[in-house]
Amino acid sequence: MSVRAVAVAAQDGEVPARHRNAYLLGLLPALVVLAAVTLAPALYLFVTSLTPASPTRPDSLFDFSDPLENYLSAWSDPRFGESVWIQVKLSVSTVVAQVLLGLGVALLLNRRSRLLTALRTVFLIPMVLPPIVAALIWKILYTPDVSPLHRALASSGMPVSSLITNPDTALWAIAVADTWQWFPFTMLIILAALQMVPREPIEAAQVDGASRFQILWHILLPAIRSSIVVAVLFRLIDSIKAFPLIYVLTSGGPGTATQVTNYYAFTQAFNYAYWGYASAIAVMLTAGVFVLSLAISRAADVRIDE
Amino acid sequence: MASSRRPTRRQFLKRSAGLGAALTLPLAAPALSQGKPFQGQTLNVSCWNAPYPKLLQEYLPEFEALTGMKVNYDTPGFLIYNQRIDLELSTRGSAYDVLNITFIYVDRWIRSGWFHPLGEFVRKENSTPKDWDLDDFLPAARKIMSDRSGNLMGIPWTCDCYMAVAGRYDLMEKAGLKMPETFDDIETVAKAMHKDGIAGFVGDNRHGWNFPPYLQGFGGNVFRKAPDDLMPTLDTPEAVAAADFFSHLLRDYGPDGVLSYTYDQVTAALKQGRGNYSTEGHIFLMPAGDADSKVAKTVRYSAFPKGPAGHFPGFATHAWGIPVGAKNKRASWEFIKWAMSRQMMLRAVKEKGYSSPSRRSIIEDPEFKRRLTLNGSDVADIYLKAIEIAGGSDYMAYRIVNVFPQVDTLIGQAIERIVSKQMSASDSMKLAQRTAITDLRRAGVKL
Repeated sequence: MSVRAVAVAAQDGEVPARHRNAYLLGLLPALVVLAAVTLAPALYLFVTSLTPASPTRPDSLFDFSDPLENYLSAWSDPRFGESVWIQVKLSVSTVVAQVLLGLGVALLLNRRSRLLTALRTVFLIPMVLPPIVAALIWKILYTPDVSPLHRALASSGMPVSSLITNPDTALWAIAVADTWQWFPFTMLIILAALQMVPREPIEAAQVDGASRFQILWHILLPAIRSSIVVAVLFRLIDSIKAFPLIYVLTSGGPGTATQVTNYYAFTQAFNYAYWGYASAIAVMLTAGVFVLSLAISRAADVRIDE
Repeated sequence: MASSRRPTRRQFLKRSAGLGAALTLPLAAPALSQGKPFQGQTLNVSCWNAPYPKLLQEYLPEFEALTGMKVNYDTPGFLIYNQRIDLELSTRGSAYDVLNITFIYVDRWIRSGWFHPLGEFVRKENSTPKDWDLDDFLPAARKIMSDRSGNLMGIPWTCDCYMAVAGRYDLMEKAGLKMPETFDDIETVAKAMHKDGIAGFVGDNRHGWNFPPYLQGFGGNVFRKAPDDLMPTLDTPEAVAAADFFSHLLRDYGPDGVLSYTYDQVTAALKQGRGNYSTEGHIFLMPAGDADSKVAKTVRYSAFPKGPAGHFPGFATHAWGIPVGAKNKRASWEFIKWAMSRQMMLRAVKEKGYSSPSRRSIIEDPEFKRRLTLNGSDVADIYLKAIEIAGGSDYMAYRIVNVFPQVDTLIGQAIERIVSKQMSASDSMKLAQRTAITDLRRAGVKL
């Protein structure tokens, strides 16, 4: 049977058993690797979350006597709840800022010119920097002793105190740094989508006298909505993994003002050696991200279908 | 034939270094005479990036030439080192042959049986010559690096003790002030000097290290009686008063952004004359007297001041140890023996200006004394006295219990909340106490 015939048969739901088995056999190595690389660690994480595991007490690694203990502890742990709220503030602010900034810059760059092509590359630089390097750049910018930013503000008569040691500004200082690093990602996705929008409806709208805003609102945004949703999902998931910036800039402080859930789990696991508890937090975080992603993509699908 | 070839430049340098080391180090003779029993082996060694391990790195070619071993050596940052090695040790892995035993992890790492006892190497003459002299290492440091049965688990390479520095002592003299001897004096000096772009007080963000000397000076402590009674005592009236005082120094006399200051920023602020007074581990204060320091001619050192309840200078030590998973422990010991020999430590002092030796004979060496007498301050004497105070009492016991890392973090958060005015000292320390109890119970501590 030719490949084409198999494809046709597959469309009709009539794949012969021996071919189906051959496909499965062919897929098997990849599935095994996938399972080993992704599912096994995830499963181990979940199993660990059911124990009070700590490397300092080897017997605790296999203690399943109270499997829900870590989950119940988390729900009654005010620091966990506080970290989730800080996480929500950071994620929402950074995702919104990155999408808006990315959209704005993409609209500006959505023209054919050599200069704009070169500019696109420049805008991508923050995104390709290793996260720890980006964090160090912002550490310098936010340290009054050595910061050109603080010096410039001071010399122009507008001195600003350290932003990362002030509980009212520390989280937003991190959000600014995160937005600087990752808005090029949303810009790239949106720019690619904008370049796929057909010219005809835009030209027709222009002939009818539509303003730029009307073209944006009624033609461009609906056309690129699915790309924006993809960008939001990517950035949302990534924002929950935010770590280097917080680690380098504030270590979760001052106090716990910037201690997001991810960082809280990190301290529980690696400063305190509470692997079981940290695993439970990680499992809940993963589940939260999964549910949130599903909800956003479903909501977006509905709208697009409408 | 290989032997007829001219040596490469690298081979020539290695052989020259080997010859130099053999001539300068008496320890070399037995190793060479035995025909390099560890020839061809590879040692993986790691320590956090403190001065001694970093300067030791420069002498490694000598060790490699001497023993024929290859050394893979890395010195990551303090936090990264501890997290990485905590994980490595917990799996009893064999990735490392020699590791640093970090002070605050002493109990956790040693009590869990993650390090190999060194007695079998130290006391045997075929492993270690007598003149290597284990007893020369300060007893306070050896005691900390031993398990509860007294088995030595690590050879201390540093002793860091808490003391005080004033970079602009010239300005203090003009104002009729002397080096503070009490906590009240610190307040007076910090207040008087906090002007004209100079911060009156500088401290780094390791509050779990910097705060306890004040806490104990006020009559409080971290635990009720470590290591036997680990009930935290962070909300006692003494603890609240100490937190209030310490946070006030940072908030009202510290530089802008003091809460994000790392220890190297403190050193830089002192060297540049941007901060006048600091109480810190002496490792980070000594560079203020370096030739490239703007305050080299005006800096003064003193013992850490007394509080209302007495004098409790902090003390820390770190040591080289052999992880239980190490494949060839004799080779590991060969490295430690070389790195911690009297000759090597003396070279570090003389050739690299190392200021935190752990051998008494080095601290009392006239060369060390001469180097550490700065503008009339006898730092070697301050150093030795602080170590003796710490060694003669158990007040540092709080620091080496296996749950201290938890409380260390909570102290840091509590001080940050007070300095940044999120909470009063009383509320913040009460919160720290409640959280500490929860965390310690999770660790299995019966309270």
